[in-house]
Amino acid sequence: MFRNLSKWCLNAVAATLLLGTLSVNAQDEPKEAAIDGGGLFSSQCATCHNPHKDGTGPKLSGVRSSWEEATGSGDAIIDWVQNWESAVAKYPYAAGVAQKKATKMNKFPNVSKAEVSAILDWVDAQVEPGPVKADGSGGAGGSEEEGGFPWIWVILGVLFIVIIAAVSGVRRQLKIAAGEETSDDSLSYGEEFKKWSWKNLRFVLIGSVVIFISLIVVALQGLGRIGVVENYQPSQPIDFPHSVHAGDQGIDCKYCHNSVTKSRTAGLPTVNVCMNCHKQVAGNDDEQKAKISKIYAAAGWDGEGYTGKTNPIVWNKVHVLPDHVYFNHSQHVVVGGVDCKQCHGDMTKMESTAKVQPISELNKVEGNIVLTRPTLTMGWCIECHAEKEISTGSIDTKGGGYYEEIHRRLLNNDEELYNKYLEDGKVTVKELGGWECSKCHY
Amino acid sequence: MKIRLVGGVMLTAISVVLFGSCVSDKDSSGLEYMPDMYRSPAIEPYVDYGEIRGRENMDLKMQQSALTPPYGAIPYYGTNAEDVSMMMPWSILPNAEYASTHGLKGFDFAKVGEDPYENEAKAWDWNPLKLEIEAKLDGGKTVYKNITLDNAKKLFVANCVHCHGEKGDGNGPMMLSGAYTGVPNYADKNDLSDGQLFYSIYYGKGMMGSHAPQLNKKEIWSLVHYIRKFQDGDYDKAAKESVVLKEGENMVTKMVAVKSAPVVPVDTIEDNK
Repeated sequence: MFRNLSKWCLNAVAATLLLGTLSVNAQDEPKEAAIDGGGLFSSQCATCHNPHKDGTGPKLSGVRSSWEEATGSGDAIIDWVQNWESAVAKYPYAAGVAQKKATKMNKFPNVSKAEVSAILDWVDAQVEPGPVKADGSGGAGGSEEEGGFPWIWVILGVLFIVIIAAVSGVRRQLKIAAGEETSDDSLSYGEEFKKWSWKNLRFVLIGSVVIFISLIVVALQGLGRIGVVENYQPSQPIDFPHSVHAGDQGIDCKYCHNSVTKSRTAGLPTVNVCMNCHKQVAGNDDEQKAKISKIYAAAGWDGEGYTGKTNPIVWNKVHVLPDHVYFNHSQHVVVGGVDCKQCHGDMTKMESTAKVQPISELNKVEGNIVLTRPTLTMGWCIECHAEKEISTGSIDTKGGGYYEEIHRRLLNNDEELYNKYLEDGKVTVKELGGWECSKCHY
Repeated sequence: MKIRLVGGVMLTAISVVLFGSCVSDKDSSGLEYMPDMYRSPAIEPYVDYGEIRGRENMDLKMQQSALTPPYGAIPYYGTNAEDVSMMMPWSILPNAEYASTHGLKGFDFAKVGEDPYENEAKAWDWNPLKLEIEAKLDGGKTVYKNITLDNAKKLFVANCVHCHGEKGDGNGPMMLSGAYTGVPNYADKNDLSDGQLFYSIYYGKGMMGSHAPQLNKKEIWSLVHYIRKFQDGDYDKAAKESVVLKEGENMVTKMVAVKSAPVVPVDTIEDNK
């Protein structure tokens, strides 16, 4: 009886084992070929891991062989992936790995052994990409010297004077030699000039009037350039390529300059905003790495964690308005619905740090209101206030109907005036008081 | 003679031109009528007060005019009780390792070994922001407008799209250009609670940094709603249908809670005893 029972038990166990292995085989073998390691990697692992880069988790290339070496078992890493805590209990090597990164790994009990294996196969098959060569558009500081002082004209002018002086000197010497004039003729240059001017009085008078007027014009033009800061592009601690960030990578202006919708100033991003991406993006070539290491130094990031030793980055202010002007970014961007590019130009094509775009550049940008006065002057501001239509569109979402209320009051108070305003089909900022001194100067 | 005249005129012209553009220093913005109006002693953002009108003041050098608010300061956020309670410090603390992995400054941390992301954010927290929905009569038909989600979309475009993609599938322009890797598809993250989504945006998670300095709590909660909408197209359907136009009404706006407070887990209650 007992012998039979134990025999039966043995058979049962053997059968279960056999069935088990069979069923495991039946599950694994046909699947193995069909498992998409790459797809699984991107859905399950890629949030934290990269084959060749340390991220939240360590890089995975070669990780299978190092586990096999250290533990002597091919299954150790699979145990780890499915439940790292049980692997730590089993293998001393796993306990060391658990200390590598501060963030704990997720457990993946639902990812089968074969799937983990397929993922690791896929990871090991990935070839490490070589350093990408910067193609120039990568923000290499290609800012050319432009609009500098025309030294060439000064040099030409000086040359011209020298030549005239030389020629007339030679002429004088020739005259002396020919006996037309005597060298002991006591007439000085000045006296000679007087003599000549009395002879040609009409030319001299007309000439001096022309010269006088042109000098005044030049001087006035010179004075008109005082306080005009077009093309001002101060040096910055980091050669920041706007074209890469806002252009190639499609980052919205408001992500980094995030106080633009809430405050008077658009705001410079704090280093933690840079680190939201640059924690991972460390640069492909030496030039980029050198630039990005400045961010790391400022944020106190040593490649593994934050050390807490931070340094400020001292940017130079580009768009400076004098103290007697009040300008509010949020009023223009949120309420007025003005796009950044109306005043700052197309930054997605700006390969270096910010500069005060000249009005000729701003007018080239599609969708901009065309203006004539130099950027950041008062003429430029009020010219736009006279052009820009008050839209109700951007106000809709606020629910308050700020401008609708103003339209209503205008209509109720003075319908004639309202209709006069609407003659050109729109109500502009100017017509709502945008030209009143105290709007900006108080 | 003629020569003297020409020379004199030339020199004057050159000096006038030089006067008009005597600036060759890249870091100087040029001549100003009233320089003290551009760099005045009044406090302006992003101006170094160590140097005013050519005078150096080493005490003020590199002093920021924008300072961090005092510890525990709560921003003024109107007098609406719901908004104010939303702006109070969040009850759930970041995991202890976030000091080094996410560089959070001025935050309190949970005790080492605790995992508030897994434990508290999942069990306790729900979205306190109600969906603001507007029903309007348009040509005899009721048209719904989801004000909260519309506002959240603007925030999403400005703050999230470059990584997470317009459809929330993790294929933003930075992914497509290959500059960045490892952004999940929201649809794969169905199992996360509202509190965990908030936690991830507020304190950061994995590679993502903390967005607390950029977005206030109300904005983050509205983004949580927006992410839920990616995961479930009918997310706001029930809320919309609860806003009903009555006879004679053209427009109704209503704030609707999507989920009520969660049932507190039994073991937590026992712990509290």
